[in-house]
Amino acid sequence: MPSARIIFFCILACLLLPAHAQPVEDSVFLLKTVEITGDRMFEKQSAGMKRSSIDTLVIIRGAHLDLADLLSENTPVFIKSLGRGALATASFRGTAPSHTTVRWNGMEINSPMNGMVDFSLIPVYLLDEVELKFGAASLGEGSGGMGGSINIGNTVDWENTFGVKYLQGIGSYRTFDEFLQVQAGNSRIQSKTRIYHNYSANDYTFVNRGIAEIDPVTGAVTNPVDTNSNAAFKRYGLLQEFYYRAGGRHVVSARWWIQEAERTIPRATSYEGPDHSNLNRQTDLDNRLSLDWKSHGRKHRMTLRTGYTGKKLNYWLKNHVGGLGEVPVIYSTGKQNSFLNKLSFDYHFRGDLSLEASLDADYHHVATRDTVAGAGYDKDRIANSLFVAVRKSFFGRLNLNIMLRQDLIDFRAVAPVPYIGLDYRPLPGKAWVVRTHIARNYHYPSLNDLYWEPGGNPDLQAEKGHSAELGTEYSHSFGSHLLFAGATGFYSRIRDWIIWLPDYKGYWIPLNISLVETKGLEAEIRVQGSLGKVGYRVAATYACTDSRNFGDPRVWGDESYGKQLVYVPRHSGNLMLNLSWHGFYATYRHNSYSERFTTSGNDFSRRDWLYPYFMNDLLAGKSFRVKKLDMAVEFTVYNLFDETYHTVLYRPMPGRNYLLTLMIRY
Amino acid sequence: MMKKLFLLFLPLLLTACMKDDELWKKGPQPYGQSPSGVFIINEGNFMFENASLSYYDIKNRQVYNDVFFNANGMPLGDVAISMEIRDSLGYVVLNGSGRIYVIDIRSFELKGKITGFTSPRYLHFVNDKKAYVSDLYARAVSVVDPELQLITAGIDVNNNFPGFYQHPTEQMLQHGRFVFTNCWSFDNKVLVIDSELDRVVDSILVPAQPQSMVADRHGSLWVLSDGGFEGNPFAHERAALLRINADTYEVEESYLMGLDDMPSELGITGGGDTLYFLNRHVFRFVINSSGSPEVFIESPYGNQSSGGFYGLGIDPANSDIYVADAIDFVQAGIVYRFRPDGMPADTFRVGIIPGSFCFRY
Repeated sequence: MPSARIIFFCILACLLLPAHAQPVEDSVFLLKTVEITGDRMFEKQSAGMKRSSIDTLVIIRGAHLDLADLLSENTPVFIKSLGRGALATASFRGTAPSHTTVRWNGMEINSPMNGMVDFSLIPVYLLDEVELKFGAASLGEGSGGMGGSINIGNTVDWENTFGVKYLQGIGSYRTFDEFLQVQAGNSRIQSKTRIYHNYSANDYTFVNRGIAEIDPVTGAVTNPVDTNSNAAFKRYGLLQEFYYRAGGRHVVSARWWIQEAERTIPRATSYEGPDHSNLNRQTDLDNRLSLDWKSHGRKHRMTLRTGYTGKKLNYWLKNHVGGLGEVPVIYSTGKQNSFLNKLSFDYHFRGDLSLEASLDADYHHVATRDTVAGAGYDKDRIANSLFVAVRKSFFGRLNLNIMLRQDLIDFRAVAPVPYIGLDYRPLPGKAWVVRTHIARNYHYPSLNDLYWEPGGNPDLQAEKGHSAELGTEYSHSFGSHLLFAGATGFYSRIRDWIIWLPDYKGYWIPLNISLVETKGLEAEIRVQGSLGKVGYRVAATYACTDSRNFGDPRVWGDESYGKQLVYVPRHSGNLMLNLSWHGFYATYRHNSYSERFTTSGNDFSRRDWLYPYFMNDLLAGKSFRVKKLDMAVEFTVYNLFDETYHTVLYRPMPGRNYLLTLMIRY
Repeated sequence: MMKKLFLLFLPLLLTACMKDDELWKKGPQPYGQSPSGVFIINEGNFMFENASLSYYDIKNRQVYNDVFFNANGMPLGDVAISMEIRDSLGYVVLNGSGRIYVIDIRSFELKGKITGFTSPRYLHFVNDKKAYVSDLYARAVSVVDPELQLITAGIDVNNNFPGFYQHPTEQMLQHGRFVFTNCWSFDNKVLVIDSELDRVVDSILVPAQPQSMVADRHGSLWVLSDGGFEGNPFAHERAALLRINADTYEVEESYLMGLDDMPSELGITGGGDTLYFLNRHVFRFVINSSGSPEVFIESPYGNQSSGGFYGLGIDPANSDIYVADAIDFVQAGIVYRFRPDGMPADTFRVGIIPGSFCFRY
């Protein structure tokens, strides 16, 4: 961890530099938000849909984070993380990780192997926009997102001519982040290149409650202070974008994102075996390519997209065996290749009536193999989707959105998925909308669910759900201030929910066993503006999620009936306060979850129960201009109150830690 | 102790709110226990470190859960597989934590530990000064000094069998100077170790995946093999129960079961004359009787493909049968206690994935 004294002097030096101008970002983005909000709330294409975008400034400031942190700090999505840089999965409205679909520039990047996305592998630095679609609002792009969808993307700035940006982060536990961006172009053609490298030894210390040191004389038992060893992670990659604009009606985009991540999963904290046993490593090589052509005329919009996602996932677990050296116990490889294509067409008959149709044709191939156990599978899947939507606006006060999606998996039709949504504007001209929808959705079993060896169940049915939602949003600007507030109640009932259970044969198999009911309330409020020379931004979200298992009890004594699903908190919320003045800014972030259970019977012994979580971070920074360079220095304190905690059973988390980032832009 | 704390947007300057320290305090101790009881060793979920020890007072029919956590203010560890008692000390083998905890069997307090194992499974006392610890991945059986609580040597069981990780070692039984150990995972051998030379001297070929074994009143070895399962790259054969002569290593009796059977948890009464095992249901077989093993207690799971009984213990004093049910493996399990005639005598809840039993007298 860099010496505190050095950091202090750096900050002091930056504060003393004269601020030449207000940084460009603040004023520009403030203006944009005011203009867009009112109209954007009432578009007929999204009638009945709850959507929210993460503020662009938050994305820019969070460049050194991964998407898991960005979501948990700014949205009601619950992220279950196994630690810094470790697997992080989402639970959107109390659903399973595979029920949140993630799209990068419109292309789904959920793994066909397990249906999930590991959010710790997506650096925020690569993203220009992050938009959430809640629940069935995700049906506009595809099925399967029973909890919702998270849409991350890259946008083009046609005004840009040439720019270079470099970001350096240095943090506790030997954490080093480097990001470089180069962009060049003109009003017709643009290129943007981003490369990055992140590393952390992640070797924080903690009191290890899982190990007992027994005094040989007195017999007194104490816990040692241990280091989180074998937990380093490394990630590096490249994102290359090309954009071409022809005649103001056509835009062609080509994007390539390649990334390699290497990490180890730390051994159990109570592990007291030999140093060279149970060593492991996981490498993820992700390769994504997306090519799209968007064209629009006075009355129509058309998009043609073709893309590729590929993944190589390797995991090994080795033990040191006397006389033999390191011998693998598990040596598993997974290779995935997917080709995804979409053609969509949107036609406006009149200002108040439009029709959209789209066709998807995707091919997935997965091959997995464990060379030690000799097991694996090699399967492919063809997925097609037909989509039709009719949207009508009535008197500028009521929008109606009717959508229908029909999927075919390996050319067999699944149940059609309808959606009816309404937006109503009670007061004409005011940015106040009441919205509601009712829809069906389903999620097809992943390839691991069907074919994993041993245990995959090819007879699995799709998970099917109904959902309904009612909510309201209001936006109002007064003077230099802007207020946005919203509240939504949702209900969803999912049948044939897939869970993996141990079979008496000694391995686990997935079964359509549960009926899950999730319901709850989401609320958010955002206020921003300026008080004299001080700019401020306050954002808070809260979600109450009741997600319970109502599947048939398996046997007398099965206590899981009617209980909250594991790891889903009933209450969650976050709060952000940001102040800026003359290029100097400070942000306070708070994130909390209520208790979580780790057993299906919601047992709350000290062994099974996760206490409520409250996390506080504070950051301060200064942006300034030196000749032609924009620079910024930012210092973040994570875990402000140095709390001892764990978010997954007995996996200790770091205490107070720091990150210093420096940004230079030309 | 239900804590439902909910935070509304109370901003700022909250002092430490996550009461992690409160978790690590000692809890209530069981009082007035009768001398006889049984420890239920709850495995917990792998890497979750939620293994636990439950204690059931046989006479008073009272169960106490998390006895180790409550007595010591710290968790037991990760994946507890088995327990042995010798001289008022209990030795709990923690497969996921690579160690054996030594506890006082009355107060449940931690008295010592033996560390340095890769993936330990069972402990067997050869004498007061030497014990063997079997291991799943170390390809060696560790030799430990229980008084010094140290590993002193290792018995190499490396097989160099291409394609499979052999030999894993599981339970151990002693006959004279020889210790037999079954090799279960992707394997089909019972190894013979000379306990004076600390070396493997022979092996016995048995049907695939010998899961458990017991010795009967005549000194014969009974081995229960599950035969593997469909898709198992090592083998898929019929499950079997064998009687092996412990001196000549010859198979004297064998009872074959179906290809889809996966029997486990072979147990024997204190008198050494009746065998029990799990094969979805509880099966019983009286040694030296004509006929073959029969269903004795039916599983409430019926023909559901998943679920079923997970652990089995036989009281050596009165031959009561304890059956452990892990339900869905992510909630508190249940133990059913039956009298030797099959009549239910008690039912109680324990920890997560109750897997084995250790009787205390």
